[in-house]
Amino acid sequence: MAFNLTRRKFLQSASLAAVALPLSRAIASESGVKRSPLEAKGSFKDETVVGGICEMCFWRCQLVGKKRGGRLVKLEGNPKSIDNGTSICARGNAGIKLLYDPDRLKFPLKNVGERGNPKWKKISWKEALDECGNKLKAVEDKYGAKGICVFPHGSSAKYPMHFFERTVGTKNVSEASFFQCRGIRDTAYVATIGKAPGEKVDMPNAKVIFLLGGHFGENIHVSHIKRYLKGLQNGAKLIVVDPRYSASAAKSDIWVPIKPGTDTAFLLGIMNYLIATKKYDADFVDEYGDGFEEFAKGIEEWSLEKAAAACDLTVQQIKEVADLLADNAPNVSIHPGRHVSWYGNDFQRQRSLACLTGLLGAFYVKGGWVPAIGPKVGKLSWEHKEHEEEFNLNLNSDDELYHPFTPPGTPTELIRDAALTGKPHPIKGCVIWGQNPIQTIPGQEKMKNVLRQMDFVMCVDVMPTDITMWADILLPEVSYLERYDYIKTGTQWDLSEKQQQFISARMPLVSPLFERKDQVFITNEIAKRMGYEEDIPVKTAKDMVEKNLEVAGLSLAQLKKEGGIHIQPGKNPYNMPDDFEVVFFNEDIEDAGFPGVPTYKPVEEPPAGFARLIYGRVPVHTFNRTQNNVWLHSAMPTNPVWLNDELAAKMGLKDGDEVGFINQDGIKSRTTTIVKTTPGIRKDCVYMGHGYGSANPLMTVGVGAGVDDTSLVTKIAVDPETGANGMRNNFVKFIKDGKIINIPTAA
Amino acid sequence: MNKTYLESLYALLDALGGEKEKDAIDTAIKKSRDFLEDLQVEYTRLFINGIPHVVAPPYGSVYFDKSLQGKYAEQVMHYYCSKGYALTDKADFPDNLIHQLEFLSFLAEDKDQESENEFLGTYFLPWFETFSKLVKKEAQHPFYRIIITLIDFFTKEEKEYGVQLNEA
Repeated sequence: MAFNLTRRKFLQSASLAAVALPLSRAIASESGVKRSPLEAKGSFKDETVVGGICEMCFWRCQLVGKKRGGRLVKLEGNPKSIDNGTSICARGNAGIKLLYDPDRLKFPLKNVGERGNPKWKKISWKEALDECGNKLKAVEDKYGAKGICVFPHGSSAKYPMHFFERTVGTKNVSEASFFQCRGIRDTAYVATIGKAPGEKVDMPNAKVIFLLGGHFGENIHVSHIKRYLKGLQNGAKLIVVDPRYSASAAKSDIWVPIKPGTDTAFLLGIMNYLIATKKYDADFVDEYGDGFEEFAKGIEEWSLEKAAAACDLTVQQIKEVADLLADNAPNVSIHPGRHVSWYGNDFQRQRSLACLTGLLGAFYVKGGWVPAIGPKVGKLSWEHKEHEEEFNLNLNSDDELYHPFTPPGTPTELIRDAALTGKPHPIKGCVIWGQNPIQTIPGQEKMKNVLRQMDFVMCVDVMPTDITMWADILLPEVSYLERYDYIKTGTQWDLSEKQQQFISARMPLVSPLFERKDQVFITNEIAKRMGYEEDIPVKTAKDMVEKNLEVAGLSLAQLKKEGGIHIQPGKNPYNMPDDFEVVFFNEDIEDAGFPGVPTYKPVEEPPAGFARLIYGRVPVHTFNRTQNNVWLHSAMPTNPVWLNDELAAKMGLKDGDEVGFINQDGIKSRTTTIVKTTPGIRKDCVYMGHGYGSANPLMTVGVGAGVDDTSLVTKIAVDPETGANGMRNNFVKFIKDGKIINIPTAA
Repeated sequence: MNKTYLESLYALLDALGGEKEKDAIDTAIKKSRDFLEDLQVEYTRLFINGIPHVVAPPYGSVYFDKSLQGKYAEQVMHYYCSKGYALTDKADFPDNLIHQLEFLSFLAEDKDQESENEFLGTYFLPWFETFSKLVKKEAQHPFYRIIITLIDFFTKEEKEYGVQLNEA
């Protein structure tokens, strides 16, 4: 296409005058450029801004930002930090690329196409909020609060989650951090020691560190890793139980290549051996134990031989671990783990870990499980309101809980099943906030069907993740570098050092770009439109943080003055609380119809020709959240599948071969990845990094890069006590050049 | 998008001998149920978040630095400042296409031909070339193709005075 004239001729001609005036009138003058006094070259100020708290993962390291002329050019650990210090990880560094990612959501979008196959139209905030408020109100009017469900994740999702839970009154809330991650750990420890354990193990001062499935070095949280490495530097022995020779296994004194799914049998074998040989801490158990007799009797069948057979290990391997632990008790770190939703038999395994810690007397001692005492800050949010109609999907018709040891919220499958069947009631409104249920929750087709039947789906995120394709209205949220919210508190990470506490709060390092808004603004505006204006607890996110800091006698201004972090004297963490006890046999669990003594329940074996698909973290990505980050993608663009080298030889596969997968339900992976052959993995399983292969073409970097492991997790397992998902009970074969290759498992 | 705007655009196209272009827009309007929504959807797809991916982000940094607000944006801002211009508070990034065109229009007003040429050659054209190719190739609505062609027309030097494009 070319015009008849040249530019010069046109500019010289009379035609210009004829069109220039009407044209200039027609174009609204919304100029962003203005005349200003001349500035000398190089006058852009360089400055360091404090108050950053990372959220490239959920460990939340303390940051400072280096800025030049309003542009954030670098992130660093806050030098004042006694947590991460000046260190941040690869992901933390790459926060810059999230902030300025061209694919990031920028304006409210309305889907004028269909769910799952969207056609986006930029709309105004007013229109977007009206639509969200009115549609959710309509669902509430027609179906009640129980007609709404919420999938929230991350610190910005707390405020909207509380609004829907406490004010509107829906219990259909399912957080990935509970039901697809650590909820099982928390409730299992609560049922054993009365507290959620966190990752509060005093590794720097341990003589032995025991990791079951934990792969530190692949899973990086800076101060956590510092604890671990300091422990190793101080001479702690490391035991790693993992079907795979992980980064941690590579540093271990003992690597236990356990058969997947049998961890509880392994722990029972150890515990029974410790009791039978009187190598446990009898004094500790006498003083703090409850139900020890029933416990000892309940697990007495677990001879080393039986455990070895169940776990595909030798007696010697288990005995060696047990002796090393006993010889160094009580200064042993039995790590509670973090992502523990594995096989659907996980609650009993997590109970076993807590009981083992008790047998070794390793609570509140140097090197053991020690919850440091941190400072208190406020927790302002929506108040709990009375609701006329109480409902709970977790209750059966006899008012008994299906999953009595559920973490807060409602088990995901109960919500999804209710939505799909309309029983006991329909669920027609869906709010998704910072969570990507397509790549987080097993059964992608099920999730899509749940979304298909909704009257309204709203999604809030910073990136166009896979779930956002299913939204009717998609709202762009500010990132952690552009908002106020999270208050991070804690103590110095090495508990043997001078006792100190710290308080820091997330403050924006840069102003929000485009039309991105924060959680308090969005939630309040929706609340107004749903008729809950009077319940709004706080006007802005900044006010919320101020009020929460007030409880500790602080303010944002004060924090800024102190370099973003307030430090005060701490308290001795090793004092055992008076009421502490370890419930070895738990009667409540038994009364609820589950084993009150930790019990091993075998999981399904891989069918012939298949191997179990296990997955985990890679050091440069966080779940599926960072897959579009261009720096992190460059560091690890795909998720190679680990395959035992002997099997690979039999299958005719070598390193770098491109393969896809088909699972036991005939579901094929959409994309491919490359083979990594290694002697460091058992023959009954294959392994890959989680969170690759986005299906959303809006993610120009992450789309189709690597294989989406969640897409292959179609068989849904649920842990009976907690209702959380077990996600490693799916089996795969390989596909190469269109041909399916069996995995010779019995080799 | 209103009647005056369309009339003015048509007048401009007439003056340039752009009959085909005028017809294309006219046809699109007649065929459409909601012309404005068509434009909004296409705008979103081309410049904001599009399927299969955003076609042509209107920011120079994306082409130079593969990032929003990259170093290039800073350089452009420096250039504005060096000529006595700044951005208003509500402005987008300095390297936004609109702001660069606005800046050029100010320079034209100032009759500062030399700076115009320098800015076009050093900052604007090297990425606009790629940008405009993308839009012309991918746009599914004639409106954007035509607007980009107009910008192309008004910013490109004639061959004999042409600047050397930085193809890298």
